[in-house]
Amino acid sequence: MATAIPGDLIELLNDPAATKVLATVDEDGVPHLAVKQSLYVDVAGRLVYTELLESSRSNRNLVRSIWFGKSVSVIVSGAGGRSFQVKGKPVKTHISGPLFRKHYLEIRSLLGDVDVAAVWIIEPQEVIDGSYAARSAEERAKFPFFDHLDRLVKPAATAA
Amino acid sequence: MANLNLAIKENRPLSRAEVTEKYPDIPPLVILKADVQRRGVHYSEAALGALDLELHATTGTHIFGARDGKIAARPESLLLRDGSSIITTPTPLELDPYLVDLHEGRPFLFEDGEPVEEVDYWPRPDFYDKTSSSGTLMQNVVSARPQRLNIFPYRYCTFWNNGNGCSFCDIVTQMKKGKEELGIPARLDPLEVKEVVWEALLEPGRYAALFLTAGSNVAGKRAFDEEVDYYIEILQRVGELFSVPKIPSQLIGTAFDDGQLERLYRETPLTSYTADIEVLGEELFNRHCPGKAEWIGYKEWKRRLVRAVDIFGPGRVNTGLVAGVELTSPGGYKNEDEALARTLEEAEDLASQGVSTVYIVWSPRPGTAIGDQKNASLEYYARLAAGLHGLRGKYRLPIGFDDYRRCGNHPDSDLSRLHNF
Repeated sequence: MATAIPGDLIELLNDPAATKVLATVDEDGVPHLAVKQSLYVDVAGRLVYTELLESSRSNRNLVRSIWFGKSVSVIVSGAGGRSFQVKGKPVKTHISGPLFRKHYLEIRSLLGDVDVAAVWIIEPQEVIDGSYAARSAEERAKFPFFDHLDRLVKPAATAA
Repeated sequence: MANLNLAIKENRPLSRAEVTEKYPDIPPLVILKADVQRRGVHYSEAALGALDLELHATTGTHIFGARDGKIAARPESLLLRDGSSIITTPTPLELDPYLVDLHEGRPFLFEDGEPVEEVDYWPRPDFYDKTSSSGTLMQNVVSARPQRLNIFPYRYCTFWNNGNGCSFCDIVTQMKKGKEELGIPARLDPLEVKEVVWEALLEPGRYAALFLTAGSNVAGKRAFDEEVDYYIEILQRVGELFSVPKIPSQLIGTAFDDGQLERLYRETPLTSYTADIEVLGEELFNRHCPGKAEWIGYKEWKRRLVRAVDIFGPGRVNTGLVAGVELTSPGGYKNEDEALARTLEEAEDLASQGVSTVYIVWSPRPGTAIGDQKNASLEYYARLAAGLHGLRGKYRLPIGFDDYRRCGNHPDSDLSRLHNF
């Protein structure tokens, strides 16, 4: 089931200064992580990733994912510790046609003489806010026993 | 599982869903592709209405004909979500093809009235509507798949001169249709080919391979010299466009002798070579390919393929099968298990010597000697794909020159996308 990425997170994902990591899984279940600055969100709310190398591990793993219905993850990290994760499923790869051509031209204008193997479309399935503040609040609410007691002491408390 | 067990118990051919269930390691999209190739497609009026002649490639310069025997403006072929092509032909409804119809406004494959998978029509190349300096429509000189340029230098095969053409081949019928109905030149001018390829390459990111094929031509001082000379001339003219001596390219030709193979490699930018043996097994080869048997012979065909590996390099030579003809009568294997075992045994003999084997799904065409027979079951094609792919894994044979992107017509080589060699 597709899910919507909140507007502020789309903004972060589309920020060229943010760090974006694509996590895929190989045939043995071993995760493969790679920084992929070409990731962004399109107008339909789907992740778009331009793969430069046909033989890359990420590309092979994406093929495996689209063939066998496996998920991938994208982690985005921006200024001030803002971070979130999108789990999704590759639903389409463009190897020809107008969208492929658009990305081929754009990437080459940015990076020079590089090739493009595919433009992947990833449908978001789940969005997880990975910022410490958000995760900490969530944990405290769901798991009230997971705190060190010293953190709960009143600031003004004394032994007397 | 109940249906699968029942099908096995009843000993009936498995449906696509049952094949998908039985072979979980074969991607469902590859199984679907093989089934669509096996059964063909029929385009609904709505699907044809979605065909935009400015955006989509339509049927044109095929070297072989459609299963319904017609030449009309229909989608050239289809692209699946995983970027692979389904190269298939329009097929009469009475043969139970998949229906291409619209679902939520988009083209989909339908089976039994249900939408099963979205498809895209192939994008139309920029150069198709331009004319060459001789006034020929460029799409009638060079054609294209999603990422490949096709050059069909001529459209005849001299094996037909004495009636020894292959049993499944309609190249001569198609040549006549192409000439009469589309105005396609029977023989291309190498300089005109170069002109059109140059125009095609103006479209950024479109083409990843150049491909040539034609029928066999026995003429020359040595048999097939004229065929080789002509390929060399075209490849040299096209090669003048590039800054590198070798380009991603494939030639499907006759099984040439050592000297001819060396010339092809040494004198042109060609990087890979294919000589289609069509069917594995000497008796079947002799039956279905009498011209190839007459002029070269089965054992020599194989020897020449192996010799080509010395020249082009490992992983750059293969041979193609028209899979399914080995089960036709008379003379075919008694059942699919035997056909698979014998075919893979022969394919392994080639693989162990550096020659890959790929298959296309045999599409029975009107006007051919075995055009009234049926092709094999989907399960057969799925097992054959897995078997040939497995041989490439065992012998570490790359197939990048004939894969889902460079060709798109082989379910078995689609699977190589997961290989890391």
